[in-house]
Amino acid sequence: RRSEKPNWDYHAEIQAFSHRVQENFSLELLKTAFVNPCYIESEEARRRQLGLDKDAVALQLQDNTGLAERGLRFARAYLAQCFEGAYPELPAKGIEALVNFLTSQELVSYVAQNLSIQDLTLCRDFPAPPDVLQRTFLAVIGALLESSGPERTGIFVRDFFIPQLIGKDLFEIWEVVNPMGLLVEELTKRNISAPEPRITRQLGVSTVLPVYFVGLYCDKKILAEGPGETLLAAEEEAARVALRKLYGYTENRRPWDYSKPKQGLAAEKAISSN
Amino acid sequence: RYVRQLQRLQLLFSPTAADARGARQFVEEAAQDFARQHPDVVLYVSPRSGPGPAPVLRAEYLNGTVREELIASKTSEEIVQLATKLANQSGLDIIRIRKPFHTDNPSIQGQWHPLTNKPSILTIQGPHLQPQ
Repeated sequence: RRSEKPNWDYHAEIQAFSHRVQENFSLELLKTAFVNPCYIESEEARRRQLGLDKDAVALQLQDNTGLAERGLRFARAYLAQCFEGAYPELPAKGIEALVNFLTSQELVSYVAQNLSIQDLTLCRDFPAPPDVLQRTFLAVIGALLESSGPERTGIFVRDFFIPQLIGKDLFEIWEVVNPMGLLVEELTKRNISAPEPRITRQLGVSTVLPVYFVGLYCDKKILAEGPGETLLAAEEEAARVALRKLYGYTENRRPWDYSKPKQGLAAEKAISSN
Repeated sequence: RYVRQLQRLQLLFSPTAADARGARQFVEEAAQDFARQHPDVVLYVSPRSGPGPAPVLRAEYLNGTVREELIASKTSEEIVQLATKLANQSGLDIIRIRKPFHTDNPSIQGQWHPLTNKPSILTIQGPHLQPQ
């Protein structure tokens, strides 16, 4: 463990962490954010083993579960609001899938590892398991919320979570079982007639690897076109392409806007909706 | 936002050896300025007594790589330059980069495939195409 190797100053490391992330933290909140419940249990067990009297050397550390919950709620609300603003057509299930992906264990622990949180956490096992890292990172977000207010925390969440979506496709994150049914629902909501699939191009029909391009037409106007190996696969792919176009999540959409936010209303709405 | 990839710098040198003179001058004069200019790097100075191994500047990065640079018989300014160079690097391995360019979107209008410009079976209604 890095904290047990020579040359380690916890206070200096925490200060460096707050400078690295360019945020002002109150140091005590940050220190409580790094304390995990398993660390408190292991410390108490160790003290009991060493025979120390419990009242004499009481551990006065609070653990980070409260901060972690607050951080998680804020992060989810803020991200959901961001996506509702950016992709207004996306249904609630899609937004929920995106937010779940962004606050999932692997992603959060990957971000935490690359920000050296695994050195600063106090926990029982080494190397720190991903759920501990996730809890610690969310507790850091909670601590930032308490110290600097919702606006700066919103900018922090945006800067560290949204770049993880770059290069990812919508249906990699959101599992959709029946894209054709979903597409028919969406089109009925917008009062467009049902899509009619037609084969646009086909190659190598009688070989082992045929390629069919199926296009979906509404009132004889093209909606989307998708390739596939069999006719059914091509139709499903065309439905997925049509859904991507409708929700505005294509590959050639405008990239995310990272400019400074001018209004403070957005973050306050996130807090009031918790 | 920019996150500096250098986590900490450890300066290991011996207070008596002759080749650590630059390291000792760096610690006396320039170390505090360096630390103030880079508040997100933790600088540890650990003198080890007696004739030991050569003085070394060890840099640890956020992705775990540890890089050691010899600072024997270097002047204080050279050590400052070395430290800033390490501070601006990232922790990726220093290997030959095969090509100096990389894009995530290799094609803008869609990659060509053998069916791009062939007319299809059905007639497509568009602003310029006429039904055949």
